[in-house]
Amino acid sequence: MEENKSFDWSTDLKEVPVREWEDRFVWVEESHVSPDGETIASIVNVEEGVFTVCENGETWDNEYDKAWSLRPLPDGKFAACVSSDEEWTLSISGDEWENWFDFIWDLQVNQDGSSLSLAIQKDMEYGMAVNDEPWGQMYGNINEMVLSDTGSVAAVVQVSPMAQADIEVFKQGIFSCAVNGKAIEKNFLNIWDISFDSSGKNVAYGVRLDRTDYTIVVNDIAWDKKFQSVWKPVFLSGEDSVVAPVKEGGKWALYKDGQPFWKTQYNQIWKMVVSEKTGNIAAIASNKFGKWTIAQNDQPWNMTADQMISDLFYSKDGSTLVAVLKDKGFWTLAVNQKKWDLSADKVFTPCISSDGKVVCVVIERQGQYFLAVNNIVIPNGYDFMATPVISPDNTKILQKAVKDGVYQRLIMSTDKIL
Amino acid sequence: MNAFIDFIMGPMVWIAFLIFILGLILKIVLIIKDVNARESYIYSYMTLKHSLRSIFAWLIPFFPQSTRQSPVFYSISYIFHLLLFIVPIFLTSHIVLVNEAFQVSWIALDDGLADILTVMVVLALVFFTIRRVMVPEVKYLTSTKDYILILIVALPFITGFLAYHQFFLYRPMVIAHVISGEIMLILIPFSRFSHMIVAPLTRAYMGSEFGNVRHAKDW
Amino acid sequence: MPNEIKTKDDSPVVKERKTDEAVEAGLARLTPERIKNTINQVLQKETGPRFKAYVETCMHCGLCAEACLYFLSNDRDPAFSPAGKVKQTIWEMLEKKGEVSIDFLRRAVHIAQTQCNVCKRCSMYCPFGIDIAYLMLLVRRICHKLEITPLYIQDTVNSHSATMNQMWVKEDEWIDTLQWQEEDAREEFENLRIPLDKEGADVMYSVIAPEPKFQAGLLYQAATIMHAAGINWTMPSSPGWDNSNMAMFTGDNEISGRIARTFYETAARLKVKRIVMGECGHAFRSTYDVGNRWIGWAMPPFEVVHALEFYHELLTSGRIKIAQKFKKTVTLHDPCNVSRGRGLHDMAREVTNMLCESFIEMTPNREHNFCCGAGGGVINCGPPYKGERMVNNRVKAEQLKATGAEVLIAPCHNCHSGLEDIVHHYDLNMEVKFLGDIIYETMEKKIYKPGE
Ligand code: HEM
Ligand code: HEM
Ligand code: SF4
Ligand code: SF4
Ligand code: SF4
Repeated sequence: MEENKSFDWSTDLKEVPVREWEDRFVWVEESHVSPDGETIASIVNVEEGVFTVCENGETWDNEYDKAWSLRPLPDGKFAACVSSDEEWTLSISGDEWENWFDFIWDLQVNQDGSSLSLAIQKDMEYGMAVNDEPWGQMYGNINEMVLSDTGSVAAVVQVSPMAQADIEVFKQGIFSCAVNGKAIEKNFLNIWDISFDSSGKNVAYGVRLDRTDYTIVVNDIAWDKKFQSVWKPVFLSGEDSVVAPVKEGGKWALYKDGQPFWKTQYNQIWKMVVSEKTGNIAAIASNKFGKWTIAQNDQPWNMTADQMISDLFYSKDGSTLVAVLKDKGFWTLAVNQKKWDLSADKVFTPCISSDGKVVCVVIERQGQYFLAVNNIVIPNGYDFMATPVISPDNTKILQKAVKDGVYQRLIMSTDKIL
Repeated sequence: MNAFIDFIMGPMVWIAFLIFILGLILKIVLIIKDVNARESYIYSYMTLKHSLRSIFAWLIPFFPQSTRQSPVFYSISYIFHLLLFIVPIFLTSHIVLVNEAFQVSWIALDDGLADILTVMVVLALVFFTIRRVMVPEVKYLTSTKDYILILIVALPFITGFLAYHQFFLYRPMVIAHVISGEIMLILIPFSRFSHMIVAPLTRAYMGSEFGNVRHAKDW
Repeated sequence: MPNEIKTKDDSPVVKERKTDEAVEAGLARLTPERIKNTINQVLQKETGPRFKAYVETCMHCGLCAEACLYFLSNDRDPAFSPAGKVKQTIWEMLEKKGEVSIDFLRRAVHIAQTQCNVCKRCSMYCPFGIDIAYLMLLVRRICHKLEITPLYIQDTVNSHSATMNQMWVKEDEWIDTLQWQEEDAREEFENLRIPLDKEGADVMYSVIAPEPKFQAGLLYQAATIMHAAGINWTMPSSPGWDNSNMAMFTGDNEISGRIARTFYETAARLKVKRIVMGECGHAFRSTYDVGNRWIGWAMPPFEVVHALEFYHELLTSGRIKIAQKFKKTVTLHDPCNVSRGRGLHDMAREVTNMLCESFIEMTPNREHNFCCGAGGGVINCGPPYKGERMVNNRVKAEQLKATGAEVLIAPCHNCHSGLEDIVHHYDLNMEVKFLGDIIYETMEKKIYKPGE
């Protein structure tokens, strides 16, 4: 979040009226706000079968037959999948890619916005395109696309054809992992959950070897051991090591490079996050059927959620671990083992200051959006809110919200809230 | 030989009762331990309310649809199970024995009535046997073991009845009666007769799955 | 036809006609070692006291027979009774300690996958509440591990594993289909949208893969209903949109769990409040009762609302108004997975009565309904077994015929397809419809405004 420094932290309030868009266009789709909060944009329908995007009241230069998947980019622009004359491409604030395809989907943007990737289909062949560069090699089908922070992409591709309901061919393995368009050697029955390391050069993924045996593969080399099931592997930061949850003897455990890693056997464990700073590993886990918790370095939190823990985030310095969870019918956050008091119908992605001292999040209660900061809900309700930003020195919070037809970019002082 | 018979007629009676009661307790303990170790997830679904709801529903004669579809069998089975407990517990001769040993007693069945009830139990067992031979879907499931089980229940009633009426061989008949009674008691925890305590558990579980999760009745 | 195979009383059937190529190819690969190890592994390691109680307390009384549509449709052939099916599979596996023959397995897979709908009706007829469906699913699990699962259903599981949907629908096909239905529906409702990936919508609408594959019109109907009712809804563009789960019907619990995880994590990613699903029974069972458990979610992490319940809500809250009730006489099939499986049968009657002028009950009904004979993955075993599936559900045909209704409402995809086959096979001259079809036909085509 270094780029936050360049945001305008001194203007208290900037407003963009958005209700009038409704009069200008036949309909206005859901709003998206740029990271710096300066721009609000929506896909709009201009007339029957004509779409464009409206950014702060100004439409893109071009109009399209279709538009979907609008996404704000780190540099303040917006990207959307657009179509004209039955062909598709990506448009970045009105500038289209040169390549057009028969279909595109799964727009991914890496952290600094330097790479944008899409899954593409042309003449019933499948691949990916990164920054307007389609893969040289296309495949029979594609799933599980991932974009790394360095701009490398990978996906599961079907490398040999399979006739309808041909389970014998399926049994031989027709899927491979393609990195930057090139399918690596081995085929498997299934491949799931591709992970890149920080260099973007190495990949790890879960595979099914035959009907009942699963393992982890790192750069085309399978771990020796076979398991009853596996979940997504991750690379540890600064090491070549790969850690993955595996199922053995009916219980889940974490393995590292094919060897047992954590001691505890869990009923369930998945979604590991690794703090780059501290090297700590945390995962969503369950020790008792139906009760969810977080395990950090094999130590369970002194907290459980009875419905779901959906996400887990470390602060940049690794000091704070935030879980998004649902307990007794409502969503809330837990920060470093402590459940927040708020109970919401929906909890969006939290924003955590680099030092972990401030955690804020947008929540929704009975149709109204609220901002919650360090367990305090600010009582002002809004019609819509986008993910907030915390200033580099923790003193301010940038709130992006829509109320009564006006988008407000509001800078709030953290002191006043807490 | 006499020592053996004395043993059978004396201490063994109480031993059989102990095995019967402790065996059932042990059975329950083992099941609960096993559930805790291997299937503890079922507690997430079991509720006392839905368990009892199902058990009681199934105790009410002709309440469950299933019982209404096989009324003859259920009526007989219902009476059989009731008498299976009532007859021996409220039998004068049994109460006398208990009274001699422990100086406790309770109301007894009139002997003539007990006689009739005993015959009814035996007839019910005859009915079960005929059903096993005659009804195809039951016959299909029946093996020798099932007849043996029926015989094991029948013997104490038959021998008891014969001994009481002293038709012939009074002493051997009493001995046979006691032995068969002991066998039956001892076998209850270790055979399919353990349904006496397992049935409420399986019923409770299914009742909970239906009542608590599926929001439906299971009768 | 399986009912031509008469069984001698004590000896289980040894002869079994060839089933399908996948079963045969799988059987040909088996070794006695593998059979024994697999059976013993599943029956000893993967079961617990529940299994023990079920096999040790069954009194062989045969009362469950009366419950089963297979038994009743096959002239009370005991081989089709619930406990009879257990005898021919589990009991013998236990008795022989897993050392069973290829012929035995051929019969076992046939019984478990195509002669039981795992509908649990028999659990309501067994005085002990023994869960025969669970025992049949254990047999299926063994067959899955032995790789002798019937061809067509195995293909759907393969598809699930690779694409997270049941019908090999490619990711672009899915999105394209939604956009195409959205465009078509705009002829009727100018501003209609099928909002894709709308984070924070109230409702995630999910369907089964046959909808985009073969019945895209149902997506159209659902979109018009959502739009007219003014629901803040969305559909995912990513895998996780398909709520069906064939893996739970072949005993591939690992894939079944993976499907359920993907489904709920998709809802979590979209930050919706609840999930509404189309008219499908087994999808409901998978997400509400089965897939979630393997993962460790005791109950679904999101409220899952079956279409039936959702329609009830829309109609009683006035979000959807009926212009003119449906005129033809209708009867209603209770899908086991939402009646016996979720107690929605009374709601189904209320919805039917709100929509239709004359409703005729079929009996037995509610929790006591007979399965359509297609459920539990039976129809998914495909054409090789269709003939016997028709014979195996004669009781349903008789039940339907007795109503004399013109239209048969089946608020479940499986039931719908299964019943269409039955109606056709037995020449019943009934039209099979979803509730959604009738709502779409009878509703006022205008957009709900609160307070109107
Ligand atoms: C194991 C210990 C038992 C002992 C020591 C015992 C003893 C006796 C005795 C002494 C009699 C009376 C015979 C006579 O009048 O001379 C009797 C009768 C009888 N017993 Fe038992 N008994 C035992 C177990 C059982 C059991 C388990 C049952 C059945 C479940 C049973 C059912 C009967 C019946 C039905 C009669 C005859 C009643 C009649 O026809 O009036 N007994 N028993
Ligand atoms: C309170 C305890 C008991 C309950 C609730 C119970 C319940 C049942 C039920 C539900 C059945 C299945 C079918 C039917 O209704 O007949 C059954 C069958 C049977 N029970 Fe029990 N039972 C109990 C105790 C016993 C005991 C202690 C014995 C014998 C020692 C016994 C002997 C039998 C026999 C022989 C059958 C099989 C009938 C046949 O052959 O069809 N029961 N019991
Ligand atoms: S679950 Fe249904 S189909 Fe299967 S045996 Fe029981 S009643 Fe028959
Ligand atoms: S009704 Fe229950 S106890 Fe009787 S044979 Fe069927 S499963 Fe066994
Ligand atoms: S298809 Fe319908 S009737 Fe058949 S099992 Fe499924 S829900 Fe039941």
